[in-house]
Amino acid sequence: MAGAAEFVEADNAEAIIARIETKSRTIESLLKQYKHVEALKTALEGSPPKTLDERCKSANWIVVHRALMAIKDIDGMLNALDVEYYDTLMKYLYRGLSTGDRPTCDQCLKIHEKLTERAGLGCILRCLTDTLNTV
Amino acid sequence: MASSLRLYLACIKNTLEAAMCLQNFPCQEVERHNKPEVELKTSPELLLNPVLICRNEAEKCLIETSINSLRISLKVKQADELENILTKKFLRFLSMRAEAFQVLRRKPVQGYDISFLITNYHCEEMQKQKLIDFIVQFMEDIEKEISELKISVNTRGRLVATEFLKQFM
Repeated sequence: MAGAAEFVEADNAEAIIARIETKSRTIESLLKQYKHVEALKTALEGSPPKTLDERCKSANWIVVHRALMAIKDIDGMLNALDVEYYDTLMKYLYRGLSTGDRPTCDQCLKIHEKLTERAGLGCILRCLTDTLNTV
Repeated sequence: MASSLRLYLACIKNTLEAAMCLQNFPCQEVERHNKPEVELKTSPELLLNPVLICRNEAEKCLIETSINSLRISLKVKQADELENILTKKFLRFLSMRAEAFQVLRRKPVQGYDISFLITNYHCEEMQKQKLIDFIVQFMEDIEKEISELKISVNTRGRLVATEFLKQFM
């Protein structure tokens, strides 16, 4: 399975990065229209990218980070987000917390508390155990 | 400021509650040995993703879990040189007496100030909730202790200097 993934990523790394760039343009336009929740949903769709390539993951992280920092109303955002995206969001929160950058960490800590209340400890545990689809 | 500390501690508490799922697991390589897998890191299938929770550039907490053990490494905020020295001395004092704490590690992990190692045996003897409360309480108290130490050092220094310089007046 790892062999097949590597085969896929060599061809698709460029395709994935191109897709992420289109996604980032959509998100920029959504943010200009103050549709923060839509922006975050677009950012989380299709991630984690099914690849081991670090560049794709970094590119995707930058996009999600942009959308996350723009969020002001956390409860509203979590209300509108589908349950299936909770796990992915939690993985990105931990990635944000590991950066050590003060505003990012503040924002991620706020969202982390609310998300844990909603999704429970299982969400955190799925982040810890999932070594295949890292973000 | 206080709320960011509260959020930071809440995040660490939730992560620890989720991560502290330890069970007995005898060593796979050597017969009749039982080692904390998080320290050795020999088999990747026994380890979970390590999680780094930063509050800001200076303070962070690394939580690494494995099947039978959990390692928590803390980096405490050190604003200036004096706090640096005080933190190092104070935490070294505690680490030297790690036997009494049971869950403390004698040497902190590289890049951090203090580390805890919790094994499945600790979870069997002690309550999981109380262990987590202990760690969170420890983090709160460390900051207070270091500020108190700093204040007392400054006060003592001022008193000594005043007394000493009186003879020249």
